[in-house]
Amino acid sequence: MKTLFLTATAVALVAAATPASAQDTDTGTVSVTGNVSRLCILGAPASTVIDLGQMAETSGARVGKLTTIGNKSVTLPGSFCNFANSVVTVDATALVASDTTAAQTGFARAVNFTATASNWAATNAAATTGADRQGAGATATGSGSVQPLPKLSDISLTLSAYSAPGDLLMVAGGYTGSVTVTLAPQATPAP
Amino acid sequence: MIRKTTLALAAAAAALLGATAASAQTEGATDTSTRTFQVTGNVPVICAGGTLSGGDSTFAMGVLVNTTTGLLRTDLSAPDKTLGGAFCSARSTISIAATRMTAQSATGAAPAGFSNSVDFTATASGWTTTPASVNTAASSNPAATQSRTTPFSGDIVVGLSNFATTGGTTLRPVADSSYLGSVTVTLTAAN
Repeated sequence: MKTLFLTATAVALVAAATPASAQDTDTGTVSVTGNVSRLCILGAPASTVIDLGQMAETSGARVGKLTTIGNKSVTLPGSFCNFANSVVTVDATALVASDTTAAQTGFARAVNFTATASNWAATNAAATTGADRQGAGATATGSGSVQPLPKLSDISLTLSAYSAPGDLLMVAGGYTGSVTVTLAPQATPAP
Repeated sequence: MIRKTTLALAAAAAALLGATAASAQTEGATDTSTRTFQVTGNVPVICAGGTLSGGDSTFAMGVLVNTTTGLLRTDLSAPDKTLGGAFCSARSTISIAATRMTAQSATGAAPAGFSNSVDFTATASGWTTTPASVNTAASSNPAATQSRTTPFSGDIVVGLSNFATTGGTTLRPVADSSYLGSVTVTLTAAN
């Protein structure tokens, strides 16, 4: 009995609506919107440690001085910015001896190098450290040119052009430095 | 009835989109990405004895005896030898060892009143505050090894002094065309 009553009500509603739609058109528009955040992502490298190994000559005329160290590269695969006008920046810190004792006359406790981030924009980001023989003034920063388009690429970070301050003898021990690569929007000029 | 329902859905969609937009703004930091690499290296402990200067590697003492008395000359001397550019890249010890000058053709013990060897003191200075020294006549030479606690680079000057006939100053060296001794300087890194 209850079921019959509900059916009758539904029929009545349909009947009331049908005459109205036949007379004119009633349109409802729903806006569908969304957005994509500005993203820059540096791909994950195979390793976050760049080991230069043994850095001193152990024989010959340059014994005790910086040896020839080959370029070291690491790739940041699949790096991207999904917007225009991004910039790669490299912040480099020279290798400095873990032994904090002041270097004696004739010795250096720092190794400078050039860090270059390439394959992003027309001009690579490069920073060359200029630490003195005691390891002071070890940091340097460099930015590449602006990438005018959204871009996806494998950014390559390369360390090269190693040198010891004054080409002095190297203090024995472990040495540590760092390189930070930053992918970011072009800096906005100060108002 | 249908129209009201449609408007309600649009409002809900607008509310949802509004929430999305607000979320994108709060995630603005993702437009910057950084990766930091540690750069490492090491320098082994190295000691180098430098390059000998002051002629050849021989202290040529010439005629050892006073040709009038046959006794050892009291004015024996020879120019110092210099080990230029010696260095250790860590704290180190310097040791000096020497063997007395001995008549090379002599066989057996020297006859009474004679000696077939000449003692001396060898000193290596310039590396440590207290020079390393050794006397070939002494049974113990605690000063033959000296230490320094820092890396060092400099010249080591090796000199000979205090010549004395083995067995006593009243003994006369036996005739021989060649008396031969040696001096050895050793730099050792102390880890």
